Amino acid sequence: MSHSDASIAARVRHVEALLEERGLVDAQELDRALEAFLANAKPANGKRIVARAWADTGFKARLLENANTAIEEIGLSMGGGLQQQTLKVVENTPEVHNVIVCTLCSCYPIALLGPSPAWYKSPAYRSRVVRDPRGVLAEFGFDPEGEIAVWDASAETRYLVLPRRPAATEGWDEQRLAEAVTRNGLIGTAPV
Amino acid sequence: MRFSPGDRVRTRHTDPPHHTRLPRYARGAAGTVLHDEGEHPLADDRSRGMHPVPQPVYAVRFEARELFGAGEHTVTLSLWEDYLEPL
Amino acid sequence: MSRVNDVGGQQGFGPVGQELDEPPFHADWEAHVFAMNRALIARGVYNLDEFRDAVERLDPREYLRSGYYENWFRAICTLLVEKGVATEDALQPR
Repeated sequence: MSHSDASIAARVRHVEALLEERGLVDAQELDRALEAFLANAKPANGKRIVARAWADTGFKARLLENANTAIEEIGLSMGGGLQQQTLKVVENTPEVHNVIVCTLCSCYPIALLGPSPAWYKSPAYRSRVVRDPRGVLAEFGFDPEGEIAVWDASAETRYLVLPRRPAATEGWDEQRLAEAVTRNGLIGTAPV
Repeated sequence: MRFSPGDRVRTRHTDPPHHTRLPRYARGAAGTVLHDEGEHPLADDRSRGMHPVPQPVYAVRFEARELFGAGEHTVTLSLWEDYLEPL
Repeated sequence: MSRVNDVGGQQGFGPVGQELDEPPFHADWEAHVFAMNRALIARGVYNLDEFRDAVERLDPREYLRSGYYENWFRAICTLLVEKGVATEDALQPR
């Protein structure tokens, strides 16, 4: 731990203790909430959604129409955050590849996927992907075919990319399909 | 709902002296409404301790050329009705 | 307002660096900042838009120099002072 990290850790502890003293937070409750959040919100949720959509065309249609109600079918919800957010799933096709960003802060389907990676929050990604998505995707080793559609999450909707099902996955069960999906694929910086 | 899918709109040009969710790269730009995203209180007002009446938010798609003068891609933003004028 | 957070389309930030096997938080204090912020918003001490506004009002030089959760922590402190929860002085450890 660097010196500045140790000093900010001490400052955070101090403020948390102060807030506890004022009755505004409860340290134990904070720990419990954090634990519950981290146990529930992880990319595995997004991977399950994608696997089900690949395996079940009816689910996929419902997912693209109203993602909030569709994901309830597999026991998921967007309600794990501060407020129930609207989820919009955008589907990759041979013609269009979707990429997600929040240029103003770091909006992300966090209730579903957990905290976003550091690069997603970085000024480099946020500034460049709206202007030069192909240049940014090239840094991820990815050159999608078709047109690129960038989604800047600037209000109350959170986006999730539905990647194209890879060839040679015929007959795979949902669990195996889910393992083929990556977190970056759900953001649009990887093909799957 | 003032706008429907397919409507052409232009975003506001002004730079308000407070929090806003209309990024500067998308100001004064012409785009097309894709769909509505329900009604939500305007972030600009909520950030100033006000309790605004919810208003429609739309997904609006812009050509990269319109935003940056170059590029083959599109950028879609979620924009409150207050940010938009009919074109 | 065109504030430092409004970086969409700006040039010069360099390549997007990826971290392998990145944990959800890089230090315990980051997780605590995250949890504290949620608790304060849930309690109505401030709302999410006021929080975003406070992040955007940070000194632009600090905003760009500091880590993500460090900026969050600064914004939380700003709001605690502005909302009358604590004085600047009380927020500093002795």
